[in-house]
Amino acid sequence: MSNYWPWWLGAIGLAAVTINYTITTDRSFGVSSAWDRVVHWRRERRFERMEEQVVDNHALAAALAAATVEQFGPQPVGARPHASAPSFASCGDEPPYPVDPEPTAGGSSATVSTLRQAPLISQAALLLSIFVGGWVAAVTSGRFKIRLDMGEAFSSIVTGNRLHMVGVLFLGGILVGFGTRLAGGCSSGHGLSGCGRLRPVSLVATAVFFGTAVVVSFLLWKVI
Amino acid sequence: MRTRGAIIFANIIAGVVLGYTVANIGFGDYGELNRMFTFQDLRMLFAFAGAVGIIVVVFALLRVRRTPGRIHAGVIPGAVLFGTGWAISGGCPAIPIVQVATGYVPALVTLVGVVVGMRLCRWANARWFHLDRGSCGL
Repeated sequence: MSNYWPWWLGAIGLAAVTINYTITTDRSFGVSSAWDRVVHWRRERRFERMEEQVVDNHALAAALAAATVEQFGPQPVGARPHASAPSFASCGDEPPYPVDPEPTAGGSSATVSTLRQAPLISQAALLLSIFVGGWVAAVTSGRFKIRLDMGEAFSSIVTGNRLHMVGVLFLGGILVGFGTRLAGGCSSGHGLSGCGRLRPVSLVATAVFFGTAVVVSFLLWKVI
Repeated sequence: MRTRGAIIFANIIAGVVLGYTVANIGFGDYGELNRMFTFQDLRMLFAFAGAVGIIVVVFALLRVRRTPGRIHAGVIPGAVLFGTGWAISGGCPAIPIVQVATGYVPALVTLVGVVVGMRLCRWANARWFHLDRGSCGL
């Protein structure tokens, strides 16, 4: 195939996605975390409900405090409220995820320490939209073709046997799913968002997964 | 732009543009990917590195704050597993979706593997690794 984009156009496209997402949502872009949340959707839905409950309780506590101040004046210094809004810790369960300590777009003094996670439905929408975007690209470029193999290169470099192909793809998928979650990110989360922020953990992770892919690819190409 | 609807809309836009871009760069093509990893063709490597370069500059101009991040015990082993899986299956978590959208039916198996791997990671972490939260999404 020679009708792929030149490198500079691809670079602009990938950068535009990451930058636009960060600016418009104030969150980091990462496909593997979206996958993980969708895969564990039952747990995620439970935590979303808990989070809504906590927000409601915080709002109620704030309203009661405001009404109390209005009625009785400010509390004396050192006085503590009798009750506080429940937290995840008091619920006997872990919060859904650590709130991502990623910085926000615009930097300044804003932090995301109080930022809620993106809605679960938005993560499912992200994955489905990737499919739509890929399909549009394949159709408009004339590359769309239903096939039961992974292409000539895969057949010659990895395996041409259909049964072996299924096994290799399944094993590869497991390694990708397990590895990205163990490492805390993938080529978009660590590679684009993290390296774009020059985060040491992302630079290390990207160097390691890219270096490993280089070694394994050379082994497949030249040795195996 | 922080409302629920706006975030969903932003994710849809990001997904469509990412899928379109990844497919047109050629990341869904195993041959192109292998040529990138074996340095036979540097086009896709430059695309990725160029994107990182642009993001670094723009984030610096926007003064996006840099946080150190924590290199926990799962980062390097996880990255090794991910790199291996990417090289043999041709898929990082977004790419198998694009491969299916391009017509590669067997990439559905990769997607199933990704789902199984993510569930395995959470299970294994709870049972054996006990890594701090932030790894495996725990």
